[in-house]
Amino acid sequence: MSRRAMTSRAFVSTVASAAARFWKERSTLLVAVPFFVAVIGILTGVWRVAVEVNDGLLVGYTAAALTWYIAASEASMLAMNFRLIEDTGSAISNGSIAVELLRPSSVLGVRAASEFGSAIVKLACLGSAGALFCLMIVGAPPRPIALLVAIPSMLLAVGCNVAAQHIFAASAFWIRDTQVAWFLYQKLVFVLGGMLIPLEVFPEWLATTARWLPFSAMAYAPARFASGHLEWHLLGVQLLWLGVLAIGAHVVFRAGEQRLQVVGG
Amino acid sequence: MSVNAASQPSTSATRAGDDIGRRTRAQRARRSLRGTRLTSRNAFADALARPWSLAFQMLVMIVNDATWIVFWILFFRKVGTMRGWTADEVIVLQAFLTFSGGMVLGFFRNIRYLSSMIINGELDATLALPVNPLVHVLVKQIGPLSLGDIAFGLVLFIVAERPSPGRLALFGVLGLLSAGVVMGFLILAGSTAFFTGRAEFGEFSFHTIVLLGSYPVDIFSGVARVMMFTVVPAAFVATIPARLVVDFSWANAASLAAVSALFLSAGAVAFHAGLRRYTSGALWTRA
Repeated sequence: MSRRAMTSRAFVSTVASAAARFWKERSTLLVAVPFFVAVIGILTGVWRVAVEVNDGLLVGYTAAALTWYIAASEASMLAMNFRLIEDTGSAISNGSIAVELLRPSSVLGVRAASEFGSAIVKLACLGSAGALFCLMIVGAPPRPIALLVAIPSMLLAVGCNVAAQHIFAASAFWIRDTQVAWFLYQKLVFVLGGMLIPLEVFPEWLATTARWLPFSAMAYAPARFASGHLEWHLLGVQLLWLGVLAIGAHVVFRAGEQRLQVVGG
Repeated sequence: MSVNAASQPSTSATRAGDDIGRRTRAQRARRSLRGTRLTSRNAFADALARPWSLAFQMLVMIVNDATWIVFWILFFRKVGTMRGWTADEVIVLQAFLTFSGGMVLGFFRNIRYLSSMIINGELDATLALPVNPLVHVLVKQIGPLSLGDIAFGLVLFIVAERPSPGRLALFGVLGLLSAGVVMGFLILAGSTAFFTGRAEFGEFSFHTIVLLGSYPVDIFSGVARVMMFTVVPAAFVATIPARLVVDFSWANAASLAAVSALFLSAGAVAFHAGLRRYTSGALWTRA
């Protein structure tokens, strides 16, 4: 099997065409945006009650900070295709990925670029809806400059997420069924990634462990910025994980492609 | 007399026709039931053919569910109580959510994919069979992962509550009623694909009811609270059964049963109404 690479120009052009394609099919946002608003409405409702019974401050977060936190963490996660791991896994296990191997370009590269392109359009829409929701419910962000930094952080979060989900999906090359991988991945990001719960709520040892794991780069980092904490090192952590996860995805896909056997057509 | 003479043959002919009609309907129902039973048996045989894989998948789901319990324990450790709800009560709520969700997704795996099956034209093979299409589509695959939910919900309730046999039976009955609500809602949401031509609503509805069902309804107020008792009946999935198992009232139990029956009927009606608009995907090989 030939080793196919993807130039940065091809990557950018795939991202752009996926973004344009997603925008043309934007009617999916008619469901996604209300669902996102419902989710953040529920979660922020829970956290606001929790802050209220704790005299207005919970592990250093006010109700407003937690509302912005949840909006940013959820936008970063819900911008992704819900079933990316399952969809990629079934393309691998049913052999349809074989057609993609015929392209003169990396399977992983094209798939990751397409997902990233769709996700950034969705992220822009969900991010705007989330910001509007927060402005209406709790008012201005705790620290506007930190909210601005949350934007590139959310893009990095999506990048990390795309790469990590492809690593999990690649398990289909060996075990065929990726539903298990999807469930585990989801829970790891939900809890250890700080999507549902700020890491500061954890006991110290667990919070420290979670900060070292890649999942915090996918939800906690942008949420921490959006909640008014200007911690620059989080961007570095995200960049580091993006590199590690991208290399990891490349390695497992290459190993998987080499052992792929497709019968029939 | 002449009137009688003229009408008698036509009356007996009508009766004979009715009898044949009834017999045909009864035969058709028996055939449909047999087909459904065999399909369901095959689905179980398929899952049980790989016992280690089944056990592993169930274990993964148990770990997945335990994550939520960890979340709530961490949450209440910091928060204390929340509008009258403690960690113990939320654990009972989670037991209901996992048990009833597991019953639906475990025994009727395709319910989650109903909308995409409709959009992709994957009902063709079912429609060619002498079975009730909705029931056949639902029973033809079981979800091994979700069977872990059933086990987790049951064990969680036993460990958290140490119930008497009577209360355990009550948990089972309320869990079944709650499963009826989830099932009816998911069929209804999935069937919207017939009318809208889009699958997203079904998928998002699944996530919405699971998400809303995970939280005590008392946390919410206003529109969200009204929504949880009506459009997305999440309150009836876990909060109401969790309350009933602690403080039983016939009125609340009857309302849960009524909502369950209402959503199941609405789901079946919507599916069969939508089926008239179904367009083939020519996928004959996936029965």
